[in-house]
Amino acid sequence: MKILIIDDESLNRFLLLHMLEEEGYTDCYEAKDGPEGIQLAQEVQPDLVLLDVMMPGMDGFAVAPVLKEMAGDNYLPIIFITSLDDKESLARCLEVGGDDFVAKPFDKLILAAKIRAHDRIRQLTSKIEQQNQSLRYFQQSVDREHAIVEHIFNNAIVNKELVTDFFDFSLSPAAVFNGDVFLCESSPAGGLYFLVGDFTGHGLASAIGVLPVSRTFRFLARKGYSAGEIAAQLNTTLGSLLPPDMFCAAAVIEVDASGCRFNIWNGGLPSLLLKSSTNLSMYKVVSRHMALGILESDEFDAECEIIEGEPGDQLLVYTDGLMEVMDEHGKMADEEGVMSWFSSPETITAAFLFERAAEYRADSIQADDTTIVIFSCQSLEVLKEDFATNELPYSIHLTLKGRELNNPHIISSLMEMINSQPGMTLVRSDLYTILSEMFNNALEHGVLKLSSDLKSTPDGFHQYYQRRDTLLANLTEGEIGFKILFKPSESALDITISDSGDGFDVSTLDEDSLTACYGRGISFLRELCESVRFSDNGSTLSVRLSMAK
Amino acid sequence: MTITANLSDDNATWVIKLDDKFDFGKVQEFRDAYQSLPEDITTVEVDLGQTEYMDSSALGMLLNMQKSLGERSLAYKITHCRPQVARILTISRFDKKFDIS
Repeated sequence: MKILIIDDESLNRFLLLHMLEEEGYTDCYEAKDGPEGIQLAQEVQPDLVLLDVMMPGMDGFAVAPVLKEMAGDNYLPIIFITSLDDKESLARCLEVGGDDFVAKPFDKLILAAKIRAHDRIRQLTSKIEQQNQSLRYFQQSVDREHAIVEHIFNNAIVNKELVTDFFDFSLSPAAVFNGDVFLCESSPAGGLYFLVGDFTGHGLASAIGVLPVSRTFRFLARKGYSAGEIAAQLNTTLGSLLPPDMFCAAAVIEVDASGCRFNIWNGGLPSLLLKSSTNLSMYKVVSRHMALGILESDEFDAECEIIEGEPGDQLLVYTDGLMEVMDEHGKMADEEGVMSWFSSPETITAAFLFERAAEYRADSIQADDTTIVIFSCQSLEVLKEDFATNELPYSIHLTLKGRELNNPHIISSLMEMINSQPGMTLVRSDLYTILSEMFNNALEHGVLKLSSDLKSTPDGFHQYYQRRDTLLANLTEGEIGFKILFKPSESALDITISDSGDGFDVSTLDEDSLTACYGRGISFLRELCESVRFSDNGSTLSVRLSMAK
Repeated sequence: MTITANLSDDNATWVIKLDDKFDFGKVQEFRDAYQSLPEDITTVEVDLGQTEYMDSSALGMLLNMQKSLGERSLAYKITHCRPQVARILTISRFDKKFDIS
């Protein structure tokens, strides 16, 4: 411990030095007046100063504030050594920045005890300062980490404006990071998907799960997976990532291009509400499943509920933060409360519901993340523009012979090839019908030479398909060729299927045999395709599917 | 099983639910789904909510069902159709024989 003595009388300095030495303080410095003391203090940075009050020129009262100023935030104890004994002078010692005083002639025991006491305070103070420093450092690194994570979140969870324009939503995290999530994405089949999720707890720990959910959701949505399949995949992803006590209550909703038909998987979210715009009746889609990230993949149930609305109807999806608000008596608003807020005749906005909840909890703070999403039933046709078709032409040529024709996956694999091209999902239902009509026509009538007449009675209908199975199982000859050509300049998909059969008299085709159990295939093709044409005496069939939106 | 058949909660409707494909591969299974109908039902409902792909044999199966059950006076409903599927049913004028929604 470095002790600085400032006294104009050398005898005093000698006595003090001697005493300090006896007490074990050997690192001592002496100055004969104020300015010298200040200069020495600057050089040696003392831990304690013994300061005489009465000195010629600059006295102790003037020196003390300068020393304190120099010490800055560090605690530098100053003990005045004084022969003055009037109360005012003693009080002044403390007022100018001194920490203590000892009367002259000083008492060795008292002075030593005081030095030790101040040494203790000095050590405590420096410890606190060290802790403050590490706290400041910690705070800074946390701030920095949060800034980085926030940046990542902002980039990872970007909903396209084209899609969010169809929603009215309010996201209100209880902390900096939101453990709730709202995602939406357009569907390649037309229409859109959206997801509202609520992770256990709130803050950064809950928010972290949002990243994999966002990635998985977007990937599967762009590929046109069903709501149930998306939920199942999210469950698997979260199950492998989250600790056992953490999970995500969520609803995955698929809206078709009409904007009125919903395919809903609800696992642990409060009931979704569909409000009729005409009679204000409300339909509840209750949670039928456990939250995501709990069940094993083989226990998971992807069953969805399908509901339909009318244009103008409102579908409300919210997290429990909205209904779990408490009034001053500790009573929760609950689902009934939300239903009554939502039930008023005018079109309800997300902001309106959030205000009702804020009013309900009055002065208490928002305890949980609150997410409110409202979709109003409306046509989503414009979203189809989000999926462009290929700019370059492509073609698929395929000839299947004999046994190869007895493969149950022919149409599925053709579908897979064509669907892997951008923009094709929009027409996949039509395409499936067209391909299977054409293929079955070539196979059953061309290659297997089955006659449709058999299908005119219910029993015959079954016999027909039994014979088809038998013939197909023993098939060794015959072939069917596929030519599929995409022409971007004409926005058209041309499909030609030819078979090795004998063909038939095209003029016998009955154009309108809708009440019969058979013969409907060709009229189907005429409805679904831009053009339908037989050639090669009926053994080649060419159609054109228009891709124009 | 890719087709499920159940009695509705009010015991009045027999609900036959298809998966994503309703095509000739389902001929036998679909027939099995209405082989043993309970006595006191009033309606047969075919739920096509999951169905994305359909071919003309599916229409044949639907008509066959009506023919086979012809002697019983039942109402027939096709429900939860996706727009593409609904379009095919409308093209085929199935709305005359089935209540489609």
